[in-house]
Amino acid sequence: MELSDANLQTLTEYLKKTLDPDPAIRRPAEKFLESVEGNQNYPLLLLTLLEKSQDNVIKVCASVTFKNYIKRNWRIVEDEPNKICEADRVAIKANIVHLMLSSPEQIQKQLSDAISIIGREDFPQKWPDLLTEMVNRFQSGDFHVINGVLRTAHSLFKRYRHEFKSNELWTEIKLVLDAFALPLTNLFKATIELCSTHANDASALRILFSSLILISKLFYSLNFQDLPEFFEDNMETWMNNFHTLLTLDNKLLQTDDEEEAGLLELLKSQICDNAALYAQKYDEEFQRYLPRFVTAIWNLLVTTGQEVKYDLLVSNAIQFLASVCERPHYKNLFEDQNTLTSICEKVIVPNMEFRAADEEAFEDNSEEYIRRDLEGSDIDTRRRAACDLVRGLCKFFEGPVTGIFSGYVNSMLQEYAKNPSVNWKHKDAAIYLVTSLASKAQTQKHGITQANELVNLTEFFVNHILPDLKSANVNEFPVLKADGIKYIMIFRNQVPKEHLLVSIPLLINHLQAESIVVHTYAAHALERLFTRRGPNNATLFTAAEIAPFVEILLTNLFKALTLPGSSENEYIMKAIMRSFSLLQEAIIPYIPTLITQLTQKLLAVSKNPSKPHFNHYMFEAICLSIRITCKANPAAVVNFEEALFLVFTEILQNDVQEFIPYVFQVMSLLLETHKNDIPSSYMALFPHLLQPVLWERTGNIPALVRLLQAFLERGSNTIASAAADKIPGLLGVFQKLIASKANDHQGFYLLNSIIEHMPPESVDQYRKQIFILLFQRLQNSKTTKFIKSFLVFINLYCIKYGALALQEIFDGIQPKMFGMVLEKIIIPEIQKVSGNVEKKICAVGITKLLTECPPMMDTEYTKLWTPLLQSLIGLFELPEDDTIPDEEHFIDIEDTPGYQTAFSQLAFAGKKEHDPVGQMVNNPKIHLAQSLHKLSTACPGRVPSMVSTSLNAEALQYLQGYLQAASVTLL
Amino acid sequence: MPTLDAPEERRRKFKYRGKDASLRRQQRMAVSLELRKAKKDEQTLKRRNITSFCPDTPSEKPAKGVVVSLTLGEIIKGVNSSDPVLCFQATQTARKMLSQEKNPPLKLVIEAGLIPRMVEFLKSSLYPCLQFEAAWALTNIASGTSEQTRAVVEGGAIQPLIELLSSSNVAVCEQAVWALGNIAGDGPEFRDNVITSNAIPHLLALISPTLPITFLRNITWTLSNLCRNKNPYPCDTAVKQILPALLHLLQHQDSEVLSDACWALSYLTDGSNKRIGQVVDTGVLPRLVVLMTSSELNVLTPSLRTVGNIVTGTDEQTQMAIDAGMLNVLPQLLQHNKPSIQKEAAWALSNVAAGPCHHIQQLLAYDVLPPLVALLKNGEFKVQKEAVWTVANFATGATMDQLIQLVHSGVLEPLVNLLTAPDVKIVLIILDVISCILQAAEKRSEKENLCLLIEELGGIDRIEALQLHENRQIGRSALNIIEKHFGEEEDESLTLLSRVIDQDYEFIDYECLAKK
Repeated sequence: MELSDANLQTLTEYLKKTLDPDPAIRRPAEKFLESVEGNQNYPLLLLTLLEKSQDNVIKVCASVTFKNYIKRNWRIVEDEPNKICEADRVAIKANIVHLMLSSPEQIQKQLSDAISIIGREDFPQKWPDLLTEMVNRFQSGDFHVINGVLRTAHSLFKRYRHEFKSNELWTEIKLVLDAFALPLTNLFKATIELCSTHANDASALRILFSSLILISKLFYSLNFQDLPEFFEDNMETWMNNFHTLLTLDNKLLQTDDEEEAGLLELLKSQICDNAALYAQKYDEEFQRYLPRFVTAIWNLLVTTGQEVKYDLLVSNAIQFLASVCERPHYKNLFEDQNTLTSICEKVIVPNMEFRAADEEAFEDNSEEYIRRDLEGSDIDTRRRAACDLVRGLCKFFEGPVTGIFSGYVNSMLQEYAKNPSVNWKHKDAAIYLVTSLASKAQTQKHGITQANELVNLTEFFVNHILPDLKSANVNEFPVLKADGIKYIMIFRNQVPKEHLLVSIPLLINHLQAESIVVHTYAAHALERLFTRRGPNNATLFTAAEIAPFVEILLTNLFKALTLPGSSENEYIMKAIMRSFSLLQEAIIPYIPTLITQLTQKLLAVSKNPSKPHFNHYMFEAICLSIRITCKANPAAVVNFEEALFLVFTEILQNDVQEFIPYVFQVMSLLLETHKNDIPSSYMALFPHLLQPVLWERTGNIPALVRLLQAFLERGSNTIASAAADKIPGLLGVFQKLIASKANDHQGFYLLNSIIEHMPPESVDQYRKQIFILLFQRLQNSKTTKFIKSFLVFINLYCIKYGALALQEIFDGIQPKMFGMVLEKIIIPEIQKVSGNVEKKICAVGITKLLTECPPMMDTEYTKLWTPLLQSLIGLFELPEDDTIPDEEHFIDIEDTPGYQTAFSQLAFAGKKEHDPVGQMVNNPKIHLAQSLHKLSTACPGRVPSMVSTSLNAEALQYLQGYLQAASVTLL
Repeated sequence: MPTLDAPEERRRKFKYRGKDASLRRQQRMAVSLELRKAKKDEQTLKRRNITSFCPDTPSEKPAKGVVVSLTLGEIIKGVNSSDPVLCFQATQTARKMLSQEKNPPLKLVIEAGLIPRMVEFLKSSLYPCLQFEAAWALTNIASGTSEQTRAVVEGGAIQPLIELLSSSNVAVCEQAVWALGNIAGDGPEFRDNVITSNAIPHLLALISPTLPITFLRNITWTLSNLCRNKNPYPCDTAVKQILPALLHLLQHQDSEVLSDACWALSYLTDGSNKRIGQVVDTGVLPRLVVLMTSSELNVLTPSLRTVGNIVTGTDEQTQMAIDAGMLNVLPQLLQHNKPSIQKEAAWALSNVAAGPCHHIQQLLAYDVLPPLVALLKNGEFKVQKEAVWTVANFATGATMDQLIQLVHSGVLEPLVNLLTAPDVKIVLIILDVISCILQAAEKRSEKENLCLLIEELGGIDRIEALQLHENRQIGRSALNIIEKHFGEEEDESLTLLSRVIDQDYEFIDYECLAKK
């Protein structure tokens, strides 16, 4: 591709088409661009366009295309061809900085991104001029250019904040410091001076402050790994200026916007971060500046308003104080009673207030409100920061702080009592204060687990919480209702059971509240109360205690799903699931209605599944209905099949990807409920389950394997007789699964079911090939997980087909193979097998090898007999070997290209643990003793001599124990 | 008993991510990159002589304040003259310039080409005063940058300086010792030049009970520079020559002598186990442990460093340090008022904790956990870091019982708090420790309680937040912990899993198996 006008023209055409809304035009254009991007000059053509095109849209489009091209192709991957020719690389690096700096902002951003991608690969070694080029621009005096440079520098250096120390990284940082630290410091000083000369020029100030923000961010990155000598020597300059900037205000920079943080706020937040970094990491050097920063930040807090735009600044500032006040040697900065009072009064209390913005979120953005308030994703909120500060102060000053706040709580409650409808926010703040003060430790499962003894929680509950919930109007003061319900939720461990029981009908009643937050909290509180465990690890509330409310509970829960905004409310669905689980048989009378409602819901949401948790709990609820009902009456399974199969078919036909794994799990549960042979409706589905397309989605695999296992367990004979032509396909699935390091265990699950359940003759012709495949995988990529599964498989095989058959199949592949497997795999690795059933299978299999395999007694394999016995005793007696070789850590995730495909296992569709040797062998140690005894009677004298000559003493002692327990001796 | 020996063997392998103990021990890398300023509590590499150190100096006493009476041109002329008096005057003037406190003109003197003549003067045994002034001037030039030291070496100063070690004039002799110390202190290359020129026997011969203390200090310091620096280390022969002298010096009462002798040992032990062995085999450990209780910081620091280096060695070497009583002293040092000592002590401890579980048992026996936890809570960050390493090594090598004691010592609270520390490595290590403890708890069926404890400490919130960390390894570690140990549901012993499964495999023709 030459850099010709004609090519520019063509490229312009195609770029234009990639913006076309019609996929028929857009897709071919995208394909075309992809097909030519390997050509030399392609990136240069794009750069030319983004610089010179007449059409602004094309400029932007070219810049985006360029960035994506760099993203995909710049990195040189080992063993793969270099996708960008060297000349283009050189040309790009030579021009891009200049281009970026001279482009309008929209394009500058794209090019800046591209530079950081290139920089990540090439900087500093393969792009030595970059730093000098950037630093030189500092001299330009043009702050548009300077900000472009700073932004690029920030994107290049910010990785210093999260990468591990390494020689390579530190060499780079050193290089950057040498070239960059001094010019940056000079720029910092010059910029601050310019700020005072331009103190009356709003637009100049805005640009200068953008520079200061970037400079402060660069400071953070460059100081993150360790305190560089340069910055230690220049700490005075930086810290004095930071301090000044913290205290600076300029009307021209104040923004009207209430939501979006302005430049001043952003700068000050970053400075708080910088100060916190120094305070935490470089305390010794920073100590003399710290008190000044505490004062400045403190003053900042006192003078900053309630607007949302200050949120980040305020929470960063409070977090700074919170982290400092816990340090013993700064305790003195806080211990004065006046200081404490004023922190409580001026910093903590105001930041705990329910603000207009919170009220707005409560009403209009309930989901976000709940997420922040309930799930603790409020890390950056003011309330959270204020709570952290309370906790920090309590470390040294619990008594005084509690005392100060108790006064506040009382006065706020009095205010509320005077005029509830006007002053309800005071009560909200009082509840919040009590909550944050009382909770010293909290868990999702138990709520608060350690409370401040200075607060009487039950008294507060009875006097101030219950009355609100008892009021007849569930829609009155919704915020206070939500507060009250939340109080129950988090103090469910402190409030005595009898009070909680009183609150249950109240909570059920609040499921009808119009406010999304209120009925969601009610559902959540019920769910948490039903989960709470009492003594003996039983649930705190019994089914009998809740029984009086069953009907109204179920009705209100399902009705709540019809309230506006809650049609897919995960908390309600979870409460439904939990109620089923607690109430068990008590729900059976309602099942017909319930299952109808659930299937209707399922049908509705399957059109566009959007709430993964909701969906998950819905399927759990379905599974519970099936389990509870069929436990009492197995024949009822047919009713469920009738109700569900129609929807399931639709889900499968419409290929609703999110639901397919769930459907397979529910079907497994249903199929396993059948006691007799497989119904024909299931058999019709069988061939479809082997379709490659289903297995391509990794989220399906565990569910599909589970379902196939259910088929094999219930219908192996039917498969062997009516679907024998599908056996190769079944084995094909196995072959595909064991080829993958992540899924090989699933492949073994399937294989083990085949070995266990299929009639031997139906798989006879494939057996050798199965072993060959396993050996290939062992040779190519052996992992601990694979070995563990492999060991379980060969032992199961041994149990099922006999020890001799196992020896023969190995030696049939290659002479002496059996000995190698014993020596190199079974004996050294058996200790790694995990799981009780798995261990038992291995124990029984090895026992068979020891006692029912003639070649073990009188061929060259005999020398392995005692080591094998020793390793079996080790399997019984030694702790499991859970070591994993270094290179295997994270294997399952590293093999994953992305996190997108997850499999969600349904707890209530869970498979019971299956023990294929359960009936045969009860105690494998006794079984070993008996088998050895039997062997010794067949060849008297040999076994005792083999045992006594080479078994080690400790193992021998264990063995004698087994023999005694089995009351047998070796002859 | 191969099979029944297995658990111990495995535990060793499992230690710190499958690496064996010796790899986990953190060796101090002197050549590693530093962003920081050089440490103030380290020993000086080179020293300039700015005052006369000896009252009976053969030259006239330096005037108060330095009055330069000659111009540079006159100095050059004087130095190159054949008149010993002029030479002396010029050299002395140059020496005085080089001894002025601020901005000594090292560069100027070198560029003036004075070095070769000064080296000549070292050999003029008839004029000890001239020898002395020349040696002093060269000492100060050699105290400069590497380039400046190089100029002295390339001027041929080493051999004549060594010959001066046999001078009958004490002041000349002492100044030569000093100059050689500066040269050796530059780095391995010149250090080895000094060694191969056979300086050591001459230096050692000087040591005698009657020697003035300042002289003995100079000798000790020069010896320490001969032990200093790696890549390469000083040769075995040299080490074997010096060690007995160091042992002898270590019995001295003077804190500067003790300090430099300890620094020398700290350099000798900063390396392979074989080198550590050379030092340990001299039986020096009990004395070092005594010195660790010194109230003098300049003795405490290097003796602690040396013992710390020794416990990076083999298990046997570590055992010898324990037998010498180091664990009696370390808990106090963890509570020392200087953070640098706390840090050094925690570092030494971390290497003991990296040993086999009977060493960990010793840590428990000497009750090091309470002061360690106190440091984790309230220490300076650099100290907290070392303490985290100690806990990590402890946790990965501990037996179940030891691990339980670790948890009971209250270590989790500060660890969880440090999860927000601005240091990615430390965060990752803490996640590893938490994961290791959770795994152990799982085996003891105590996981639920531990999970609750971690949650109460605010751990879940923090670990959850770390799942989104920009450092991928931290993100994954956090994700693994949450998935494995903090699954959302706890019903009927089944946990809700959302497992992540891979996608990238080749699709194989299902029928191919049958065709084969």
